[in-house]
Amino acid sequence: MRSRITSLVVSVVLVLTFGVITAAAFTKTVTIRVEGMKCAKCSASVTKALKATEGVEDAQVSSEKGEAVIKYDDQKLDETKLREVINGTGFKAVEEKKAQ
Amino acid sequence: MTLHGIVFAAIVAFSPATVLGQGAIAPQFTLKDINGRTVRLSDYQGKVVLINFWATWCPPCRAEMPDLVRLQREHGKQGLQIIGLTYPPERKTRVRRFARSLKVNYPIILGTREIKTRFSSEETLPLTVVIDRDGKVSDIISGILLREEFEEKIKPLLKKNMEGEMRNAKSDH
Repeated sequence: MRSRITSLVVSVVLVLTFGVITAAAFTKTVTIRVEGMKCAKCSASVTKALKATEGVEDAQVSSEKGEAVIKYDDQKLDETKLREVINGTGFKAVEEKKAQ
Repeated sequence: MTLHGIVFAAIVAFSPATVLGQGAIAPQFTLKDINGRTVRLSDYQGKVVLINFWATWCPPCRAEMPDLVRLQREHGKQGLQIIGLTYPPERKTRVRRFARSLKVNYPIILGTREIKTRFSSEETLPLTVVIDRDGKVSDIISGILLREEFEEKIKPLLKKNMEGEMRNAKSDH
């Protein structure tokens, strides 16, 4: 009985560990420079459009820095799609600064 | 003033967002559009009205306008009426030139701070106030109007009366 419980616990731990590692492997963070984002009033649309995109886990947009830091699932979308979303809000995604 | 009164006044004074709550009767206005035509909000009673606050220098406002033109064209017969109000105030010639270039098919009015604050104190642009067929504020959409938001928040309001009209038409026969 005890060995069954032990093997069950070990299985659960393995499954959870594998799940977390897999999820982390799919999550990427990218910083995209956004041109023309001069008014703070307008930049809310970039955050909104990014967060509404499937696969985007988080988006922090700064009009002061002129950039968007996006955490996304690279199994669901790629940087090209993220740039398209930003461009769709009227601003221009210019270049990638760094990727993790 | 009681403590409750002071607290309430403070909440109202420092509240950063919406002035009008959901279900509030939309404030009426009568203004001239950029072509000199009088636009009264009351003229659109029974329609689903979107009051879109925008500015020519605001990139997301410009980006969403072709979509608004399309929505007006596709859903106008179902009772959708979009009204564009520039905010902050802008020069008429610039606004008119811009509206013409996009072939805007709904009234464009030069807004004022006073008109804007009647609807919302939120400074985000664009900002769209959704008014239902009963003239009540149904929603205030901050930022660009996403397709999903139109489907979720506006389309049901358009369908509401269509269903009522279909029922009335059936009972007439």
